[in-house]
Amino acid sequence: MTTFRQFMSSSSLSTVKDAGTSAIDSLKKAKSDPSKPPRYSAAGLLVKGAKSEEWPRVWREHDLKKSYDVVIIGGGVHGLATAYYLATNHGITNVAVLDKAYLGSGGSGRNTAIVRSNYLTPEGVAFYDRSLSLYNTMSSDLNLNVMFSERGHMTLAHTDSALRTMRWRAEVNKLQNINSSVIDPQEVKKLAPSLDVSPNTRYPIQGALYHPPGGTIRHDAVVWGYARGADHRGVEMHQQTEVLDIMVEGGEGPDGKGRGGKVTGVKTNRGDISAPIVVNCTAGWATLISDMAGVKLPINTHPLQAAVTEPVKVFLPTVVVSGSLHVYVSQTDRGELVFGASVDPFATYSMKGSLEFTEELAGHVLELMPNIGRMRLLRQWAGLCDMTPDYSPVMGFTPVEGFLCDVGWGTYGFKAGPVSGEQMAECIATQAVPKLIAPFELARFERGDLVGEKGAAAVGH
Amino acid sequence: MTRLPVQPGEVLDRTKSLSFEWNGERLTAFEGDTIASAILANGNRILARSMKYHRPRGLLTADFWDPNAFVQVGDDPNVRSAHRLVENGMDVSAQNVWPSLDYDIKAANGVVGRFLTAGFYYKTFMKPAKLWPAYEKVLAQFAPGGKVDLTTPHMYHDKRYAHPDVLVAGGGPAGMAAALGAAESGAQVMLVEHNHHLGGSLLWGSDADRAAAAELAAAVTAHDNIEVLINSTVTGRYEDNWCSIAQRSHHIAVERLIKARAKMLVVAPGLIERPYVFAGNDKPGVMLSGAAQRLINMYAVKPGQRAVVFTANAHGDSTVADLERAGIDVARVVDARTGGNVVAAKGGSKSVEEVELGDGTTVEADLLITAIGWTAPTSLLNLAGDRPQYDPAAARFFSSQLPDNILVTGGIAGDGTTDQLVAHGRSTGQHAAARAEVVAATLQKLTTRAADYDGDVPSFPADNRQPLGRDPHPELFRSTTHGLVDYSEDVGSKDLFAAAKEGYDSVELIKRFTTATMGPAQGKLETVNTVAVLAEARGETIAEVGTTVWRPPYAPITLGALGGRIFEPVRVSSIQPWHEANRATPILAGQWVRPEHYGNPDAEVRNTRENVGIIDVTPLGKLDLRGADVPKLLSMLYTNKWMQLPVGGVRYGVMCAEDGVVMDDGVTGHIADDHYIMTTTSSGAGGVWEWAENWLQTEHPDWDVHITPVTTAFTSINVAGPKSRELVAKLTDVDLDPEAFKYMQVRTGTIAGVENCFMWRIGFTGELSYELHVPSGYGLHVWETLLAEGADLGIKAFGLEAQRIMRLEKGHFIVGQDTDGLTKMPSVGMNGLIKLDKDDFAGKAELADSINRTDLPKVVAIQTTDPTIVPFEASQIVRAGTNEIIGRITSSRMSPTLNRSICLGQVLPEAAEPGSTLTVVMTSGERVTAKVMEHHAHYDPEGSRLRI
Repeated sequence: MTTFRQFMSSSSLSTVKDAGTSAIDSLKKAKSDPSKPPRYSAAGLLVKGAKSEEWPRVWREHDLKKSYDVVIIGGGVHGLATAYYLATNHGITNVAVLDKAYLGSGGSGRNTAIVRSNYLTPEGVAFYDRSLSLYNTMSSDLNLNVMFSERGHMTLAHTDSALRTMRWRAEVNKLQNINSSVIDPQEVKKLAPSLDVSPNTRYPIQGALYHPPGGTIRHDAVVWGYARGADHRGVEMHQQTEVLDIMVEGGEGPDGKGRGGKVTGVKTNRGDISAPIVVNCTAGWATLISDMAGVKLPINTHPLQAAVTEPVKVFLPTVVVSGSLHVYVSQTDRGELVFGASVDPFATYSMKGSLEFTEELAGHVLELMPNIGRMRLLRQWAGLCDMTPDYSPVMGFTPVEGFLCDVGWGTYGFKAGPVSGEQMAECIATQAVPKLIAPFELARFERGDLVGEKGAAAVGH
Repeated sequence: MTRLPVQPGEVLDRTKSLSFEWNGERLTAFEGDTIASAILANGNRILARSMKYHRPRGLLTADFWDPNAFVQVGDDPNVRSAHRLVENGMDVSAQNVWPSLDYDIKAANGVVGRFLTAGFYYKTFMKPAKLWPAYEKVLAQFAPGGKVDLTTPHMYHDKRYAHPDVLVAGGGPAGMAAALGAAESGAQVMLVEHNHHLGGSLLWGSDADRAAAAELAAAVTAHDNIEVLINSTVTGRYEDNWCSIAQRSHHIAVERLIKARAKMLVVAPGLIERPYVFAGNDKPGVMLSGAAQRLINMYAVKPGQRAVVFTANAHGDSTVADLERAGIDVARVVDARTGGNVVAAKGGSKSVEEVELGDGTTVEADLLITAIGWTAPTSLLNLAGDRPQYDPAAARFFSSQLPDNILVTGGIAGDGTTDQLVAHGRSTGQHAAARAEVVAATLQKLTTRAADYDGDVPSFPADNRQPLGRDPHPELFRSTTHGLVDYSEDVGSKDLFAAAKEGYDSVELIKRFTTATMGPAQGKLETVNTVAVLAEARGETIAEVGTTVWRPPYAPITLGALGGRIFEPVRVSSIQPWHEANRATPILAGQWVRPEHYGNPDAEVRNTRENVGIIDVTPLGKLDLRGADVPKLLSMLYTNKWMQLPVGGVRYGVMCAEDGVVMDDGVTGHIADDHYIMTTTSSGAGGVWEWAENWLQTEHPDWDVHITPVTTAFTSINVAGPKSRELVAKLTDVDLDPEAFKYMQVRTGTIAGVENCFMWRIGFTGELSYELHVPSGYGLHVWETLLAEGADLGIKAFGLEAQRIMRLEKGHFIVGQDTDGLTKMPSVGMNGLIKLDKDDFAGKAELADSINRTDLPKVVAIQTTDPTIVPFEASQIVRAGTNEIIGRITSSRMSPTLNRSICLGQVLPEAAEPGSTLTVVMTSGERVTAKVMEHHAHYDPEGSRLRI
C-alpha cells in the first residue's frame, strides 16, 4: 500500500515534489502556529459582547497559489469535510477547496437537513451510522454549534407492502444495534399528534418505522464548521473560483485525458493550479467536471424540490416521511415546516421550481395533517441531484491517476457528508480504498455489482 | 390615536359598524377597516412584539408587507392585520407574546441583546453536549408566528384554470391602463390587484389622484373583456407564463388557486417603500410615509400627535400636508435632498418620544415619518430569468432582460406623472395585446391537434412605447447609526457588519448566517437594505454585491388553496356491491380497495382446493395490444420468446429493467390475429404501460402497435378448484374439453349470456382454474350467476388472503414482495426463461452477465423445523451464531392445506442448496431453525392438479 507521501515523492512531476515538501512544511507550521484562533463559547460571546469586539473571519481569504498537494472541487459538505479530515487526521494541509459560487451554495444549502442511519443494507447502516456518530459530536469537534436535533425520524407505511419493508429495515437495523422499530398508528399519533391516523383517509397510516436517533441539523452550520476547522489547519477555501478544465497527461482519450492518464492540475477562472491530486466533490455538475478529466460517470442529473412555510409555534416534534405520498416534513426550531419530495422524473440542470410540485406537496401534506390547511407556503426552491443506476454514490479512484470522485449522491448527500469526507481523506492519504467505501467504487458498474439501497430509496429521507 | 372625521378618500362605510375582539377586548370598526386600522382607531399603537427581543412594535408600512402586524385570527395564524379586513365577530389576538402584548417576559432578551448578535447560537450551547436538547427546547419557545389549531377542519378548495390573452399583475394606474389598452385592442384580460381596491398609490394621494383612480377603475370594471380580481395576487410565474394566482376574494373559498396560462404577462406591481436604517427605527411611531398616508387618507386614522418628517421625495413632501390636515403638529421637516438626516428615534420601548437629527438637534415627537425611496418588487421577473440591475441615480433596481412574453409598466418600469404612467400603461397594454396575437398564432402553428394555421406566424410588432423616465433619487439606506434591517427577524445593521467581518460577506452567506430576508416578507422590505449595508461593510457598490434570487411564491399562499382536492380516486371493481353486502374485510392494495377475506381465509382455501372458489381479480393490470408488431414488442419487454405464440395460446413472461432486476410478471394471451391481451401485476399496471409506451415511442416508433389499458374495462374473475370446469361449463358456449382447451390457452366466447368475454386457463392458486374477463358492465351479473350455478358444487368466494396462501403453497413469487429493487432474474430460479439468443430485450446485456454469476441471492422455499412457528415476513436469516445476515423470509403463512408453516425467502447461494439448515431470527430475538426445500412449491410441485 502506497501512502500519500510515498505517492507524492515517487511522482515524476517536479511540482509535485515541491508540493510534497510544502505539505509537510505546512503540517509543521500548523502544529507550531502560536496564534490559535479564538474558540467559540458562551464566555467568548460575553467577553466579545462586553468589549464590543469582533470575531475573526470564519475562514480566511487567500490568493490562489500556483500549486497544491490536493485540489478539491466543490465547497460543499463533502469537499470541506474531505479537506478538514485530510488536515486533521492525516496532516495534509496544502489543500485548496474551490467553489464556483460561495461555500455551501449547492446541495449543502438546499437540502432538508435530515439525518438518520436506519438503512436497509448492512453496508448502508454501517456507513450512515458512522456519519450519524460524527454528526453527534460535531458541535464540540468543530467548536461550532451545528444544532443537531435528535428529534426522532418516522417513516410512515400506508400499505401492507410498505409495512413489510419497514419491518425488513427494522430487523436489519436491530441486528446492527441501530435503534429502529416498527410502531403502530396509535404510537405514531402519540409522537406526532397532528397526523391523521384514522382509517378514513385516502392512504390510511398502517404503522411506521421509528428511528429515535434520527433528526435534523443546521446544514449551513455544518458547511461553516468544516470550513472554519479546515482553515484553522491551513487549508485554503477559494470561493468564486470556477474550474474550467482539468489537466491530464498520458491518457487514452483526446488531449491525453481519460483512462491511463495522470492528473497534473486544473485551470480556473482565477488562473491555473498544478496538483497531483484532484478530487471531484461536486453535485449537480459531477459529470461535467469528470468529463474534464476524461472520466465518464453513469449519472443523470435531476432536480429535487423543497419548500418551507411561514413559522408557527412548534407542533411537530419529529421528522415525518411518507414514501407513498412522496413527502417528508420536519419543523425547524424557528417554527417553519420544511418539506421535500422525490426527485423530479426528468433530467435537467434547471433549478426553477414548479407550481405542480407545490400543489402535489400541499395535497399530500394535508392528507397527512388535515388540520394545517391555513398554514402558508413561504418559499420554494430546487437543488440538483446526481442519480446513479443503484442510487448509491461513486467514491474513490477513477481510471485517471490522481483524479478521485466523491459524487453521485442522489438525494442522500448531506447525511453522508462527514463520513464521506473522513473516508475520502483516508483514501487520498493512504492511496488505498477504505473498507467502508469499497462498495462504491466506479468500477462496480463495469462488473455489474450494484449496491443495494435502491429497493428502499424511493423517498429515502 | 383616534379616528379622524370623514376623510375625502376614506374607504370606510361609516353606516356599517362592526365589532370584534382584540386580545379579549371588544373593539368597534367600520366596514372597510383593516384589522390594524381598527385597532389603531381604537387608540392602540402596539400590534405585536418582535421575534427575538420581543420589542413592542407598531405599524411600519400599514400594508400587506408590514413586518410588525402579524396577528392570530381565530385558528388562522400569521394574519397580516394591515391587509385583512375586519369582519363582525372576529377573534383577533397578538401572537408570540407571553403573558400579554403589554407585558412580555421575553423582552428581557433585549437587555442582553449585545451578546445575542445574529448567529450567536452557532457559537455556544456546545457543551455540555447533553444539555443541548434542553437549550433547543428553550430556543424553540422563541419560534415566532401564530398557532396552528389541530381542530381546524380539512379544507381544500377546487382550483380554476384560466387562459387570458393578457394577465396584468397590479391594479394601480399603469396596470389599469394596461388592462384597458389590451382590452380595447380586443384581448381577453385578467387584471389582478393585491389589495382590496383598484388604484394603487393614487388611493392615498391627492383629490386629483383619487379622481383619476376612480375613473380608471370604473372603465376597467365596465369593460366586457376585463375580469377584475381584487384581493388576489399573482404569486408565481413559471415556464411559458404558467401563472399562479391566489384569489382571497372568492365568495366561498377562503383562498382559491387560479392557474392561468397567459399569452402575455404585464407586471405592474408598483413599488414598495423602503424603511431607513437608524437607531430606534423599530419604535412604535416610526413609520413610512405610505403608512401615514394610508392611515389618514384611506382609513381616517390619526397616527400620532406631533411628527417629524424625513423626506427625500415628493411622496414624503406630500405627507406633510396630509399630517397637517389630520391635525398633527409637524414639528420638523428634515429634507434629505439638502443634507438633512435622522440619527435616532429615542424614547421608551412603546413609543418614540424624541428624534435626534443629523445636525445634532433633538425634536420632541411621537411620530417619525420616513420617505427615503423604494424597492422594485421584481420577484415575478426574477422567476422569468431576469437579473435586475441597480441604477444608483434612481436608487433602485430595474429589469434588464425580459422574455418576449412579459412586459413591465408603472413604477417598476420608471417614474412619471399619473398621466405619464397611464399613457405608458395603456401603450403597454396595446403592445401586450399585439404580442398575445403572435403568441397565439405561434401556439396554433406548433400544436399539431389544433386547427391548421395557414401562412406564416407574424413576428412581434415593433415596440414603439414611449419609455418612462427615471427620476433622480438620493441613495439612502443607513444613517450614521445602527438600526434594524430585518424587522421580522430582529436583524440589525450591526449584525450584518459583524457577520460580514466574520467572513459571511456574500449576499447569500450573510442571509443564511443572520437570517436577514428570510422572514414573511421574503426580503421585499429588507433585501435592498441588506445588500446596501453589506456593500458598505465591504467598501463596494450595491451593483458589485448583487442581490439574492427571489423565489416563488411572491406572496405566501395557503396549503389548502395549493393542495386542492387530490385527484387520486379509490378504485373498486364492479363486484364491490356484492363484496360489501357479504361483509368482505376490505384491504387497500395500491389504488384499489378489494376484499381481503369474507370471514375465514383458511376455510376459503380449503373449499377452493376441495370444491370450487371464485375471486375478484379485477385489479390485475390488463393491456390490450393490437397491431402487426405486437410480438416484437413482447419480445422486447419480456426475457423469453414471443414470435411463435399461436392464436389461442397463453404464455407467462418476466419483465426486467435494463439492470436485470425483475420489474413485473404476468401472462399474455394471443386472442386473435394481431390482437393480444397482456396482464401485469396489480401494482405494476401503470408502470408497465408507461414502460411499454416508452419503448414504443422513443425506440421503435416505426412498430405497428397500439396499446390500450383495459384494466377497468374488464371485470376479472378467477374460478379455481377441481369443480371449476363443471361450473364454467354451465355458463359458456366455449368448449371446455381438456383436449380442446388446454392449460395455458385462451378462448373467447359468451359467459352467462355476456358476449365478447375471454377466458384463459392458468393457475396462480395451483388448482384447475379459468380466469374470466368480462366487460365490466356485466361483472356483477357474471359473479352472481357463478354463485347461483355453483351452489350445488359448494362454491364460495375467496379473497386476497386465501389467494396469497394458495400461491405461497404453490411457491409462486410476488414481484416486489419476494423480490426487491435488486433482485435480478437469475435469483428467482427461472433462467430457462432468459433467452439470450434473441436479438435484443430489456435487460439483456445485464442478464448475459449475471446469468453466470454464482454470488446472487436465491429465492427458495423454506420450512421451519417446528411446523407451528410462522416467522414474520422480513425476519432475517443469519449465519448460525452470528449477526451476519445471509437472507430473509419474504413470505410466510400457516398453510391450511399442509397444516404447517410455509415460507419463501431470499438467501445467499451458500445457504440456498436444498436441505440447507437456516437460522431465522424472530422479531422477539429468538432464533429458530428452518430448512431449504427442494422445490418452490410446498404443495403439488408436479402441477398435477392444474393440468386435469
